[in-house]
Amino acid sequence: MCGLPAACRRPAPKVQCLLAQRFSAGKTPTTGDGVPLGTAHEEHPRDSPQADHVLLACLKLGSLMLSLNLTLAEPQHFSLVEKLLLVALVVASGAGFWLRFGTVLDKILHSKKDAGFHLFPIGKRIWDFVWEVLFQAKVIRQRPLAGLAHALVFWGFCAFVLVTLNHFATGLGIGFLDPSGWFGRFYFDLAAAFALACATGILGLFVRRFIVRPKWLGEKLSYQSGIIAFLIFLLMATYLASFFVADTDPAARILWWVHTLALLTFLPIIPHTKHLHLVLSPATVFLSRGGFSQIPPLVGDEDFGLVAGTDLTQLVSLQAYSCVECGRCTEHCPAANTGKLLNPKEIILGLRGYLNDLSPAAEQPLLGKYNSQEAVFQCTTCGACEFQCPVGIEHLPILVGLRRGAVNTGAWENDYGAKLFLALEHGSNSLGLPSSDRDKFIAKAGLPLFDGTQEYCLWLGCMGGYDPKGREIIADFARVMNYLGASYGVLRKEKCTGDPVRRLGNDLLFQQLAEENLRSLAENKVKKIVTICPHCVRTIQEDWKEYGTPPPVEHHSEFLARFAHKLPSRAVGHSSEGAGGFNPRRSPAAQKGALAPETTSSIAANVPAHSLASNVSGHDFSRADKAANISGPLGPAGNVTSPEKIVFHDPCYLGRYRNVYDEPRAVVALAGELVEAPRNHERSFCCGAGGGLAFLGEETGERVSHVRAAELVATGATTVATACPFCNSMFRDALAESGDGAPQLMDIAQLTARGLPKVDAS
Amino acid sequence: MKIIVAIKQVPERDAQVRIDAAGKWIEEAGLQWALNESDAYALEEALQLKEKHGGEVVVLSAGPERVGSTIREALAKGADRAIQIDCANLGNRDALSVAKLLAAAVKPENPDLVLTGLQSDDLGLGQTGVILAELLSLPHASLILHVEKTETGLTVKREWEEGWFQTVEMPTPAVLTIQSGGNKLRYATLMGIKRAKTKEVRQVTAAELAVDSAQAVVLERVALPTKQKSTQILPGTAKEAAAALVEKLKFEARVL
Repeated sequence: MCGLPAACRRPAPKVQCLLAQRFSAGKTPTTGDGVPLGTAHEEHPRDSPQADHVLLACLKLGSLMLSLNLTLAEPQHFSLVEKLLLVALVVASGAGFWLRFGTVLDKILHSKKDAGFHLFPIGKRIWDFVWEVLFQAKVIRQRPLAGLAHALVFWGFCAFVLVTLNHFATGLGIGFLDPSGWFGRFYFDLAAAFALACATGILGLFVRRFIVRPKWLGEKLSYQSGIIAFLIFLLMATYLASFFVADTDPAARILWWVHTLALLTFLPIIPHTKHLHLVLSPATVFLSRGGFSQIPPLVGDEDFGLVAGTDLTQLVSLQAYSCVECGRCTEHCPAANTGKLLNPKEIILGLRGYLNDLSPAAEQPLLGKYNSQEAVFQCTTCGACEFQCPVGIEHLPILVGLRRGAVNTGAWENDYGAKLFLALEHGSNSLGLPSSDRDKFIAKAGLPLFDGTQEYCLWLGCMGGYDPKGREIIADFARVMNYLGASYGVLRKEKCTGDPVRRLGNDLLFQQLAEENLRSLAENKVKKIVTICPHCVRTIQEDWKEYGTPPPVEHHSEFLARFAHKLPSRAVGHSSEGAGGFNPRRSPAAQKGALAPETTSSIAANVPAHSLASNVSGHDFSRADKAANISGPLGPAGNVTSPEKIVFHDPCYLGRYRNVYDEPRAVVALAGELVEAPRNHERSFCCGAGGGLAFLGEETGERVSHVRAAELVATGATTVATACPFCNSMFRDALAESGDGAPQLMDIAQLTARGLPKVDAS
Repeated sequence: MKIIVAIKQVPERDAQVRIDAAGKWIEEAGLQWALNESDAYALEEALQLKEKHGGEVVVLSAGPERVGSTIREALAKGADRAIQIDCANLGNRDALSVAKLLAAAVKPENPDLVLTGLQSDDLGLGQTGVILAELLSLPHASLILHVEKTETGLTVKREWEEGWFQTVEMPTPAVLTIQSGGNKLRYATLMGIKRAKTKEVRQVTAAELAVDSAQAVVLERVALPTKQKSTQILPGTAKEAAAALVEKLKFEARVL
C-alpha cells in the first residue's frame, strides 16, 4: 500500500488492451470510459494486511480499485457444449444439495409444532436478525479475532450473491452485470474488496483451526472444514485473479471454470456438514423463542417434555441442525470447565445424531444412546451457552426439556432430587425446614407483615427466610428500606417460587407452587415485589406467566440503585455520619465486626446475634455457617487509607437472565472501589448453584464455586460482593477454604447497610 | 400379588393447628392435608413389591370428600385403583370403628397382603392396622422396614429398639404395619397425575358396608402442648463445658 503514489504513475498496458477488446466486441459502446485509464496499474498490494487493519485495508483497496479502474475479466462467449455442461453441473450440484437438504428440511418440518410460538412482536426478531446475522455483532463481540474473520467471510458471501448469480447467467449468455458499465465496475470492484477480505478471513480461520487449535473446537481435526476453507479461498482467489487477465485470455476461461467448479462443489457440501448453518442459522436466529431461556408450555395430556423423537419440536430440530460446532457454549460452560460430563455442544449434536439416525416420529428415548441423563442433570442453567451461541440455539429450553422428560415421567432417580421434590410437595421451602422457622425469623427480625396497604411486598424466598446468611441479607436490606422510609411488608406465608423444580423439570410441582403463590399474592393484594434473590425474580416475573399474571417484581439491586442518591456513599457516609464510632484506622469491614447482624442491622440489633445465626437446621446450607465470620476483622482490609477494593460477581439470573449489570455496580461503588473479575457481565462464570444443583449434593470433578472463588480472590479485592443468596452460599463454602487471607463476603445490601449511620438499638 | 394399602389423610406437617370451639378436635378450615408419613412408606413398599413380582396395588382410605386428593396422589405414584369409604371425619373416631370399616372393605377383595402405616401422624394410636388384622383373622407383624416375598410366604424385617432388627418368616395373606424410613419415597410426577385421572376410585359408604361402627372410645378433649423451653448454658471453659455436655447427653437426655 505504501508504494501507491509511485505505482500510480506507472503505465497500465493490460487495462488499455482490455478496453480495446470491449470496444471491438461492441459490448460497451460508451466513449467516456477511457478517460481515467492512464492512472490504472496491474499490481495488487504485496503486503498482507495486519489482522487489525483488515477492514481499513479493504476499504482502501475498494476505493483504490475503483479509482484504478481494474475490470473483471469474463469469457464472453460460451459454446453450446460448455453451456450444456454448465447446466448439467448446476443440476447435479443442486441435486447433491437438495438430496441432503431436503431430508433435513423434511425432518425439521415433520417435527412437532411449537406450542406458544408467536411470530409477533416481530420488531425484536428483525433487530436480532440485523444485529446478529447481518452485522455479525455477537460473533465479533464475544470472540473478536475469530469473529471478525468470520464476519469478513460472511460479508464476502453476501457481496458475492449478485456476483455469483451474474456468473452463472454469463455462462448461459444472459449476464446482467456489465463489468465495464458504471454499476458493474463499481460492484465488481466492491466485491473484489470483499473477496480480499474474505480470503484473509478464511485464511485466518484456517490457521486458527489447523495450527492454533483451540480446545473447544474439539480434539478431532475437521477435514471438512479444511475442504471448505480451501474452496472458499479458491473462489476468492479465482475471482480476484480475473482482474488481472484479459477477457480473451484463455486464462480467463480457466479461472471462470475453476470458480464455477468450486462453487458447484461447495453447494452440495453445505448440507452434508456443519456448514449447513450458512442456510439454517439466519432462520434460527430469526425464529427464536423470543426470550432468554424461554421454557415452552406443555400441551395436552401426553406432553411431558423431551422424552422421545415425537417430542422434538420444529425449533429444537432446526436448532439441532444449525449447530456450527464452534464450541463457544462449551468454552463458557461451568460444567464442561470443571471436569463434568456435560458438554452443551454434544447435547445439541446428540439430538442431531438422533434425528439423523432416526426421525422426529421415533419413539426411542432421547436420553440414553444419544444423550446422557447424567450430563443433562449437571447443568447449572447459567445460560452462558445460550447467550454465547452465534447461530441462535437455545440450549436451556432443550436441557430443561430433557430434564422435564426424565422427571415428569419418573425416569430420573436421584435421592437428593427426590428429597427436594418431596420437601416441596407438602412443605413450603426448598430447604425442607418447617415453615414455623420463617415465622420465628420474621418475629425476631421485627419485619413488618404485609397488610395490603404497603407499597412493596418484600419477598423473602427460601434463602431469605430460612438460610442463616440469607436472613442476614434480608435483615440488612430491611434496615436500608427503613432508612429510606420505604413502605413494605413481608407475607405471613410464602412458598418456594418453584425455581429449582422448574429448572429440574418437575412441572407438576412447579405448577402447584406457582398457582398457590399467585393465589396468595392476589389475596394479599400485592402490587409490587422486591426480593434479594435473582432466582425468585426470574421465576416470578417470567415463569409464573404460564399460570397467571404476577405483580411486577424487582431485584434489590434495582431498588437500591434507584435510591442511590439517598444513600450515603463511602465518602459521605463515613466521614460525616460516622461519628457514631467510626474509627478511620480500621477498615469498614473491621468496623463491622465479626457478628454481622448485631452491628449492621438495626432490626437484627434487637435480637442477640447468636439467635439469628442459631436457627441453624441440619440442612446443608448451614454447614459453613462458621465461615460467615469471614466477614470479620480477619479480612485483609485491616489497614485502610485507600478505598476498599470490592469485586462484584454477576449472578447468572440477574445478568444474563435479566440484563441487569449496572445497578449492582452502582450500589457497590457507594461502598468502595469496584474491581472486575476477569469474567464479568454477560461472560460471568457461574457459582454452581443454579438449575437446582445447590440441592443435588456433591459435584463430580472440580467444584464450580471453587473455580469462581479463586478467580475472585485473584483480583486482589478485599471484599467479594454478591447479589444472590445462592451465590453467597456457594462462595461462603469456597472462600472458607482460602484461609485467613480470604476476602470478606457480603451481599450488596449488606455493603449498603454497613454505610448507614448507626441507630441506637434501644 | 394383590396388595391393599390402607392410607390416611392427615394435616400437613407444617400446618398450624388450632383447637376448634368445642375443644374436641382441631379447626379444619384452611388446613392443608397430606398423606400420613408411614402410610407413604407402606405405599412405597407395596409399589416396589408390585414392580418386582407383578400384581395389583389397591389403596383404601376412609374419610370425607377431601381424602380424594390424597387418594389421587397415591394413584399418581403408581397404585392401580382405589376404594374410598365415605364417612365423616376420622379424627374423633376410635381405632376399632375405623378398623371395622376398613375390614369390611378389604374382605371382598381377598388380597394377598394388606399394608398400612405404623401409626397416624395426627392421633398416633398405632392400633388400626393391628385391629384390622384381628378383624380379618389374618397373621400380622408390626414395625416393618422391609418385606420380601418368598416361595411360601414372606420374610419381613422388624425394627426393634437401639438398632436391633428382627427377621420374621410368615405366611400370606397377612397384615403388616410399616415403619417410616425403610425405603426411599418416590416423588409424584406429572405423568403419574395424568394417568391417575383415568384410574378407578370406588366410593362406598359406611351403610353399604353394613358395619356397626359404634365407638368404644370417645375423645374427651384435645389441647395443644404447653410450651416449655429449658435451655441450659453450660459454664466454664470449652473443655469443661464439653465434658458437662457429654454427661448430660449420657445421663439426662440418654442419647449417647
